[in-house]
Amino acid sequence: MDSRLKETWESCVKCGICRSVCPVFKEEKSEPYVARGHITLLSELVSGNVDFSEYEAKDYLYKCLLCTTCVEACPNNSETDTIVEIARHEVIKHHGLPLYKKIMAILLKDRALMDFAFRNATLFSSFLFKRNDDSSRASLKTKFETPIMEKGRLIPKLTKKTFLQKYKDYSDNYGYLSLFPGCLINYTYTEIGDAFVNILKKLDISFRVPQKQLCCGAPVYFAGNFEDAAILARKNIDLFSRVNSRYIIVMEPTCASMIKNDYPKLFMYLEDKEYEKKARDLAKKVLDPVKFLYDNTDILDRLKHLDMKTTYHDPCHLKRAQNIKDEPRAFIKKASNFTEMKEADRCCGNGGTFSIDYRETSLKIASRKVEHIENSKADYLVTGCSACIMQLSEILHRHEDDHIKTIHTLELIDMALDGGNNEG
Amino acid sequence: MLKKRAYEKLKRIFKDRCFLDKLGRVQYSYDATQKMYLPDIVVLPTTTEEVSKIMKIAHRYEIPVVPKGWGSGFTGGALNIDGGIALSLEKMDKIVEFDEDNLMVWVEAGVVNYDLQEFLKPYDLMFPPDPSSWKFSTIGGNIAENAGGPRAVKYGVTKDWIKALEIVLPNGTVLNVGSKNIKDVAGYDIVDLMIGSEGTLAVITKALLRLYPLPEHKRTMEIVFDDMEFAAKMVSNIIKNKIIPTSIEFVDKDAILAVEDALKVGLCKDADAILMIEIDGSLCEVEEGVKKIEDICKNSQGVMSYRVAKDEKEADEIWLARRSISPTLKRIADGKLNEDIVVPITKLAQMIKKTQEIAKKYDLPIVSFGHAGDGNIHTNIMYHTNDKDETKRAYKAMDEVFDVCLSLGGSITGEHGVGITKQDYLEKQVGSDAINLYRAIKKAFDPKNILNPGKMRL
Ligand SMILES: Cc1cc2nc3c(=O)[nH]c(=O)nc-3n(C[C@H](O)[C@H](O)[C@H](O)COP(=O)(O)OP(=O)(O)OC[C@H]3O[C@@H](n4cnc5c(N)ncnc54)[C@H](O)[C@@H]3O)c2cc1C
Ligand code: SF4
Ligand code: SF4
Repeated sequence: MDSRLKETWESCVKCGICRSVCPVFKEEKSEPYVARGHITLLSELVSGNVDFSEYEAKDYLYKCLLCTTCVEACPNNSETDTIVEIARHEVIKHHGLPLYKKIMAILLKDRALMDFAFRNATLFSSFLFKRNDDSSRASLKTKFETPIMEKGRLIPKLTKKTFLQKYKDYSDNYGYLSLFPGCLINYTYTEIGDAFVNILKKLDISFRVPQKQLCCGAPVYFAGNFEDAAILARKNIDLFSRVNSRYIIVMEPTCASMIKNDYPKLFMYLEDKEYEKKARDLAKKVLDPVKFLYDNTDILDRLKHLDMKTTYHDPCHLKRAQNIKDEPRAFIKKASNFTEMKEADRCCGNGGTFSIDYRETSLKIASRKVEHIENSKADYLVTGCSACIMQLSEILHRHEDDHIKTIHTLELIDMALDGGNNEG
Repeated sequence: MLKKRAYEKLKRIFKDRCFLDKLGRVQYSYDATQKMYLPDIVVLPTTTEEVSKIMKIAHRYEIPVVPKGWGSGFTGGALNIDGGIALSLEKMDKIVEFDEDNLMVWVEAGVVNYDLQEFLKPYDLMFPPDPSSWKFSTIGGNIAENAGGPRAVKYGVTKDWIKALEIVLPNGTVLNVGSKNIKDVAGYDIVDLMIGSEGTLAVITKALLRLYPLPEHKRTMEIVFDDMEFAAKMVSNIIKNKIIPTSIEFVDKDAILAVEDALKVGLCKDADAILMIEIDGSLCEVEEGVKKIEDICKNSQGVMSYRVAKDEKEADEIWLARRSISPTLKRIADGKLNEDIVVPITKLAQMIKKTQEIAKKYDLPIVSFGHAGDGNIHTNIMYHTNDKDETKRAYKAMDEVFDVCLSLGGSITGEHGVGITKQDYLEKQVGSDAINLYRAIKKAFDPKNILNPGKMRL
């Protein structure tokens, strides 16, 4: 294995500092669910001292949010997220991929199939879910118990027209920006994408929405399926390397972090030097939308002050993976009455499939945020990631805090650019 | 065979709070020494009764039991060197009774030191022992190792703040020792005997801790030296002038470079050594202390510069840098013989000078930092583990450091304990009569020698 990757776990000195910050450990209180434990397992696996199938290792390997809170706190920057991903991959390499993960990979690799699946889900949604408009964010409530979701769980409503389809006309023309919405904005939270498009139009910034883009691959990569992740990565790299835009705006922080940080690591692992280089070149053009607006436009000065009480939640993949924390706050402070909540950067506990596999733990982790959100007295919880919005609006609903609306930073910016009472 | 039956029994009782699978056991096979010994079984009790149950089974089947806190120990005390049961107490993490009127608190052994401090803060109280590992070590572990922290200069170590304990003896008997009384001389002082016993005499399940008001004011100073010997001299100079700071921490050149590389907090990279000092108390006490130290700085040799942290954030950065040194040393070399020798404060300068000579003689980096205010210096001999010659030289250098330390009237360990890593040096310091007495005491508590055997020459 590439020595640069080996360093990510050989640097661990087993001090235990990660125990004091890991959100999963806080709930589980046992060593298999913390960075130090994950790291030990992988190094034992690689050195051949233990061998395990996915089945026995499941909890030990999958009960990690990949939130990188431990990486931030670790004095040696041991990269637990990378380590866990590699460990998951090592297991798959030896024992193969379970069926449902194979199906997921097939879907993600094919836009038409993916669209088909979602169209059908939309059709059936009235049967499976009931509308839930009184929650913190419009959503659907599951009517039945299913293997992956309990009854009463809130999920975002599916859009009739995906983001890509909506902006089909913008596919081939030249654009200063190329937009990469990511699956959640494409299929469910299209309105967040719309907000950004509105802003761009108001600012007269040209953009395009390349239609051939695929899922960034994070869901398969996080599951340790590096081969399929690499197929998706190569296709996206090829597509976006050809695009002649100045920036590629990746709206979901998880996708942005995947493309910027994980593509190069993935090809490093696969020892594909050509694509490692391409990935690094592409990474230079990838930008979060809020960060783009902050760095490259004068929109901050143009925002009006709205009479809204707000607070902000730092998404892991925005703050820790991309070091973006001050920019959104600058906008929110300008546009509203902002109160910083305690532990704003505590992980919301979503963690992608983690919230399905470990529902109870995921909700416990999210619940720890509720008190801080309530104490901020905000009416609007602002954040910059769809997965966080999904998780936080649900947990607020469960705590009967539906009056606190969960919105995206882009939506707030869009609102403040539209109207407001101009006092700020 | 018999053992197997005992393990099956434990698995039946503790279910998912018990690991028999290799993967689960691997994760309880190490501590901060980075050595690994696989336990046969891991059990995570939540109550004293459960601990007692485990001990009874272990006692009956004569199985070694190793109590564990958060595994941040530096001497291997929490390692199952002979297999057996890893009895890990992280799930016993409740604050049992907060007695604000008597300024005391009963806690379970698995409460993390820092979590307790956070609990106490709104009441303007603190538990004075503050090991650098306070965010990731337990009160049980602190007691078992008699941990000390930067504040020890003024407030003493763990031993000075424990009033009573609930312990489980190796045969499963639950015993309460000590009391809330400020004065109590009835019988042998078992509480004190338990402190620093490294999990060899009994399992601590609860502790009654004495608390102290949080100081009203605090000030942090940083003094930069161009020669580390002068830094060491400054320490005894401060104490001699009857100033008792909360902490005086010493950081040498290599440690400065390693931690600055990791954290980038703006420590002076040209320095040969830095002293970090905290003074607490009333505003006037604090101001007077700072002024006196500033005066000493003006009249001392070797001082390149000094500053008083202008706000809490600056002070926090200085202390974060100090607390982070130990794990960052891996940047220098992968092998580290991590000693925590202690000498009388007046001998500190001599000790540091000798250490530098030893480093030169064996041609190895020796990084020194630590709680200079109480004479406790962490001496880290760095070497590359894949280099046989370097490894040999490192161990020789360590022998010499210990010899010098003992010849100056010091001790081979100030706070990390003996465990397995220092047991070969223990007799040299305390003598064989003392070791025999230890063994007799151990036998009185644990005739079958099942509790943490093979540690501390026991
Ligand atoms: C980065 C770093 C900095 C450190 N700084 C300091 C410092 O400033 N000062 C200091 O004193 N130490 C320090 N240490 C060492 C260590 O943190 C302390 O020894 C701490 O008290 C160990 O607590 P633990 O809960 O991790 O115990 P563990 O490591 O799990 O166990 C340590 C010993 O205590 C015994 N034990 C634990 N719990 C119990 C119990 N309930 N009943 C009976 N026996 C028990 C174990 O058997 C073992 O022998 C540091 C360690 C690290 C990694
Ligand atoms: S991952 Fe980092 S914080 Fe955790 S034990 Fe290893 S070195 Fe310490
Ligand atoms: S990535 Fe997050 S969940 Fe995983 S070990 Fe680190 S802190 Fe814990």
